[in-house]
Amino acid sequence: SSSSTTSTLILQFAPLQSLVDEGFWRRLSSLKLDTLGIDQSPINITGFYAPCSHAQVSNHLTLLAESLPPEVGEQSSDGTIVRGNRNRCPVPGILYNTNTLESFHALDKQSLLKAEAKKIWEDIHSGKAEEDSSVLLRFLLISFADLKKWSFHYWFAFPALVLDPAATLIDIRPASHCFSLEEGESLSAACNEWRNSSLTADVPFFLISITNSCATIRPLRDWKTCQGDDKKLLFGFYDPCHLPNNPGWPLRNFLALISSRWNLEKVRFLCYREKHGLADLGFSLVGEALIPVPQGWNDPEFIPNAVGWEVNRGKKIPRCITLANSMDPTRLAIAAA
Amino acid sequence: MVLSQKIHEAFKGTVERMTGPRTVSAFKEKGVLSIAEFIIAGDNLVSKCPTWSWESGEPSKRKSYLPNDKQYLITRNVPCLRRAASVEEDYEAAGGEVLIDNEDNDGWLATHGKPKETNSDDEENFPSMETLEITKTNTIQSISSYFGGEEEEDIPDMLEYEDPDNLIETDPATLQSTYIVAQEPNDDNILRTRTYDVSITYDKYYQTPRVWLTGYDESRMLLRPELVLEDVSQDHARKTVTIEDHPHLPGKHASVHPCRHGAVMKKIIDVLMARGVEPEVDKYLFLFLKFVASVIPTIEYDYTMDFDLGSSSH
Repeated sequence: SSSSTTSTLILQFAPLQSLVDEGFWRRLSSLKLDTLGIDQSPINITGFYAPCSHAQVSNHLTLLAESLPPEVGEQSSDGTIVRGNRNRCPVPGILYNTNTLESFHALDKQSLLKAEAKKIWEDIHSGKAEEDSSVLLRFLLISFADLKKWSFHYWFAFPALVLDPAATLIDIRPASHCFSLEEGESLSAACNEWRNSSLTADVPFFLISITNSCATIRPLRDWKTCQGDDKKLLFGFYDPCHLPNNPGWPLRNFLALISSRWNLEKVRFLCYREKHGLADLGFSLVGEALIPVPQGWNDPEFIPNAVGWEVNRGKKIPRCITLANSMDPTRLAIAAA
Repeated sequence: MVLSQKIHEAFKGTVERMTGPRTVSAFKEKGVLSIAEFIIAGDNLVSKCPTWSWESGEPSKRKSYLPNDKQYLITRNVPCLRRAASVEEDYEAAGGEVLIDNEDNDGWLATHGKPKETNSDDEENFPSMETLEITKTNTIQSISSYFGGEEEEDIPDMLEYEDPDNLIETDPATLQSTYIVAQEPNDDNILRTRTYDVSITYDKYYQTPRVWLTGYDESRMLLRPELVLEDVSQDHARKTVTIEDHPHLPGKHASVHPCRHGAVMKKIIDVLMARGVEPEVDKYLFLFLKFVASVIPTIEYDYTMDFDLGSSSH
């Protein structure tokens, strides 16, 4: 670290963006009308994401109809567990849907975010995040469904545990510049194998060890067996971000895990990205970062700060979508006449 | 809707001759697919182009003749960097467009010289200089496009309600959106970067695949289907591309009407056979997507043509 320049560069993460399919709002409306009524209890939902696969646009956290519990009478015979595939890795989320616009605005957003961050922190410390790494990506959605106007007010948060002091960047560059040809080929093959197996295709965090130019990918639970003298070790994650110099949001909580659970202060990470659905090391990034020991993390009572409310066109305001044209029975009747 | 009905009537005679239960493949004779062949071709697409997946869709809309887990194909978050109209100006300037069927003035554009096939790495990372030129000269505006017609009214509400202490996030590790803007060569370009979910269903009536488009604007808000037509080749907008109910998803979506798909596929198959290539039915969707690219030239979905289309008889 003596070679580092005088000015340290803070590692900056590109925020995740949300995308909500029309089917989600339709199912929420049905649930509200048929099942929930005025019950405002939070609902467990499932978001989906995937590694970035187009150089021009980042991937998103996507909500679909299947993100919500099935509607009454729609429980299909096959059990309808939300299943992922390589293009939709399930991520656990929670929805607070309020009955009025006033109660939507009155929600204590800071406390809600903290509550989700606390779950992430606890899952890191209990070891649960090593068994099911998708819990590192927990998200929060608050909404008000105005079923008179068929409009939906909503706001996403992607809770990220704040490292204080922040991690600093030593180096970040295309992954293809960081490996020998042999290592690169082996790593691409190992990534494609991971992505093609139905057991691992939707597992977004993983460990990469490279020994004698041969890359192996393992789940986080294999951390202990992954260490050795002659190994290069990298922390890999499905990166939804397309930017050439920044990792995406999911790395934040992963670094928190690496720092607080495995006590590492210097890490190499792989921002895994694809082209045409295959590993692309020219587009993927390898970064090296220093994680100073965060203040207070040894205190068992301590919970780190969290950030992550989504910005709407540069402003800290909620979003609103109106689906009256496609959902309002009166308008549909007029259109059909 | 009315136009699509007219088109439907115009071709109904042809279509009726093509319908009916099939026990043998009409792939080479008619350019159509049986249900089993659609599954085979879909499996091959998913395997060669893994950005495509099979999905099961709304349980209430499942078709019993298709497997539950293979109701339709979808690829999500496909970038669309510019409106189709600007690309057409390119073609005209280059004199590059070719009709493969112009008999009834309703031909499909052939896929020569599509920009998406000439990608170099640089062009994929950033829009080319060419794009910037078009950006400057083209006056097509990205209309404030999401369904949030009432959002403007809502903003005062937000300010009224927002507790200034509630959401202070001064976090040096969060990349600010201005940084993202700085990564792009041109602000206007961001406005143009829409994304699409492109899905392929099986149309039992026409016995062909059918393509559906769900668009999102630059802030990932749903696009009205009418605005999706900006990303359709202007020869096809409102003529062969119509806005209808999706068979597996809720809501109205833009769709390439399948009434001519069989005939066009038949022509493509004939051209291949004349070249001594015996087309194989599992490659159907690659040929089909290549042809669909002429209708939606700026929506950059994956389909690879890097392998043999069939077995060569030479």
